[in-house]
Amino acid sequence: MSAFMPSLRKVMLGCTVLAGLSASPVLAADVTPERLLNASQEPANWLTHHGSYSAQRFSTLSQINRDTVKGLKVAFTMALGGIEPGGIWSHGGLEGTPIAMDGFLYVTDGWGSVYKIDVAHGALAWKMDPKTDRDWAGAVACCGVNNRGVALWGNMVVSHTLDGRLIATNRDTGEIAWQRAVADPDKGETVTGAPLVVKNLAITGVGGGEYGIRGWLAATDLTTQKEVWRTYTIPTKGEPGSESWSGNAGAAANGGGPTWVTGSYDPATNMLVWGTGNPGPDWDSAHRPGDNLYTDSALGLDLETGKIKWHFQHTPNDPYDYDSTSENVLVDAQVNGRPTRLALHANRNGFGYAVDRTSGEFIWGTPFVKKVTWTAGLNAETGKPAEYDPALPVQKYNAAVTPSRTNRVSDICPGNMGGKNWQPTAYNPGLQRWYIPVIESCNRITVEETKPGSWKAREFFTGGGPSQHERITGSITAVDVTTGKVTGKAETQFPQLGGLLATPDLVFASQPSGEVTAYDAKSLDKLWEFKTGGGVSAPPMTFSVDGKQYVAILVGLGGAWDKWFIESTPELKKVQTGSTLYVFAL
Amino acid sequence: MRRALIGAGLLAMWAGASALAQDPGARRVAGEGKQIYQRANCVGCHKWHGDGGGGYGGDALSLRKSELTRDQIIEVLRCGRPGTGMPYHLRGAYDGDECYGLTREAVGKDMPIEGKTFLRPSEIEAVTDYVIASLQHRGEPSYTDCEAFFGAGARTCNVYKTAAATPSGGTE
Repeated sequence: MSAFMPSLRKVMLGCTVLAGLSASPVLAADVTPERLLNASQEPANWLTHHGSYSAQRFSTLSQINRDTVKGLKVAFTMALGGIEPGGIWSHGGLEGTPIAMDGFLYVTDGWGSVYKIDVAHGALAWKMDPKTDRDWAGAVACCGVNNRGVALWGNMVVSHTLDGRLIATNRDTGEIAWQRAVADPDKGETVTGAPLVVKNLAITGVGGGEYGIRGWLAATDLTTQKEVWRTYTIPTKGEPGSESWSGNAGAAANGGGPTWVTGSYDPATNMLVWGTGNPGPDWDSAHRPGDNLYTDSALGLDLETGKIKWHFQHTPNDPYDYDSTSENVLVDAQVNGRPTRLALHANRNGFGYAVDRTSGEFIWGTPFVKKVTWTAGLNAETGKPAEYDPALPVQKYNAAVTPSRTNRVSDICPGNMGGKNWQPTAYNPGLQRWYIPVIESCNRITVEETKPGSWKAREFFTGGGPSQHERITGSITAVDVTTGKVTGKAETQFPQLGGLLATPDLVFASQPSGEVTAYDAKSLDKLWEFKTGGGVSAPPMTFSVDGKQYVAILVGLGGAWDKWFIESTPELKKVQTGSTLYVFAL
Repeated sequence: MRRALIGAGLLAMWAGASALAQDPGARRVAGEGKQIYQRANCVGCHKWHGDGGGGYGGDALSLRKSELTRDQIIEVLRCGRPGTGMPYHLRGAYDGDECYGLTREAVGKDMPIEGKTFLRPSEIEAVTDYVIASLQHRGEPSYTDCEAFFGAGARTCNVYKTAAATPSGGTE
């Protein structure tokens, strides 16, 4: 309670002043832990990054529905900033999910500026520019100038910057209240994800899997502004899991395992469920013999201590860059007639997984892409790739296509971007359908042998690199979570680089060529589309103000695609750099 | 003492300015060449230090270790390198056959990508002279090199201050 005293006092003072003016003000309430816990019970607002702690990205709002969506129009747009170059990047982009509360949107640009926007007036209330050190951070951002959004807590807007800071901004004034450095770009660390705020803790994940970082999750107590725990995703020598790093190269010290996508939280067990990224170097798996725990895993962690309670590793000794950073969606469902508490995860490796979120036990797995070549499938009991052999120091999987020191150039499907990347899935609890934004891809991997001791701070540490030898497309693929079977696929010309939103009737999606699209939730028929004229690489969300439903999405192509993967989608070369918020309503 | 130091500083600045004024070539290398190196996004793959390296974009050539002659660097800047990620920067480079004797049709699928910025011949020479003077054969990037690029005190240069930076996980 004491956490909210300062802001409560301010609100009370405000009441006094305004009462003196005989107004009847509607003052924005503080965001309490209870409100965040029950975020889905406030459908007018979108209070947390994934819409709720379960990361379902589902809204019960239904004014915009199967019958009315045809009439969806632009309510307003707002030009934003953050497109400046920095480091190895020629421009920034937008990947954030807006947060909505009491008629205001809170959005970020790629360099971490936060904008508070008055929806009713389409007006900017304030902008907080954190003055990110663009060269320092942009030189070690593998995959674009990205910031995926803010969190709300008390009277603060909590955000990250690419150069590794956690910032609390006064929600009324836009003034920075305090900030602390959480990640260190000198070590190749960056922060691109939105903070996850639970109780009084802000959880920060880190990026840098291509720069030989040792990944971690960190919890900052927002009341004391101090770090209360930091859990490394690669164990120290002697800790459980450390035996999964063998060989003489000392690979664990630079073994990767970043955590750059915002996780989920299960109040029933008081556990965070968070994904980890690829081991490094990405493609030279012989440099790091062993399973490389806890890279490429879903982790269940105790919220209060950060202790790892369970893990499920998807691709042991990963030679493909098939990371597991993307979100885990918490869903209760009957699977094969048994009530199950699931964590769903769509992996870069092309498989969707359901595990028991209390224990990490494998429930089902299914390929959601059109083409998988690296494995014959998953073991139905364990969920491990069929060819996985725990006795092997270096996994071979389907050796004919697997990148290795003896297979220096190989084509893999899915390609290293996936499958499915950070772009969030959405879940419809009424239909029990899980929608995956898919990158239908193959690409070519060239392996370079990593010499022991060759890691350099702030330099790529990848053991090779990808190139594009064929066209890459996309789809929205629906999975029945009670069976783990794919029930539908809406194909798209370009890969899904923006992520999804589910409402009772609809699935909202986008294309990097600029379209924002609504699909029928059951048939996946296209019902509505608007061409923004920019490139979209951010998820849609929905909220309402005074009974009117809106859909909002950031437009401005960012991320890794236009620098590293554009040759697979040549038409996207003409997409211009931009930075705009689009808000739609009936 | 303070005045003396300031005086010395001014003197050094004056001396530097004077050298640049007397040698337009040096001014071009230090100023225009570096500015083009940034504007044409050479930093995007070869990095500020020119050492390139692997990563998501594949392996960019190390300009520090390159043995290319001035004319060869100019040619690569003008024409790109067919079959690699190195773009061409000369407007209409493959309209005729002035690049490697190849037309657009002849180079086919190995056509280099188009640079984000086209450069005039004088700009290509300026950035080439910058590469030769400031990057080529300069060994490992140093703190001095880094400050010369980003300016004094840039945080980007922190890691070059100590001989060996500590790996991320080395202390925990």
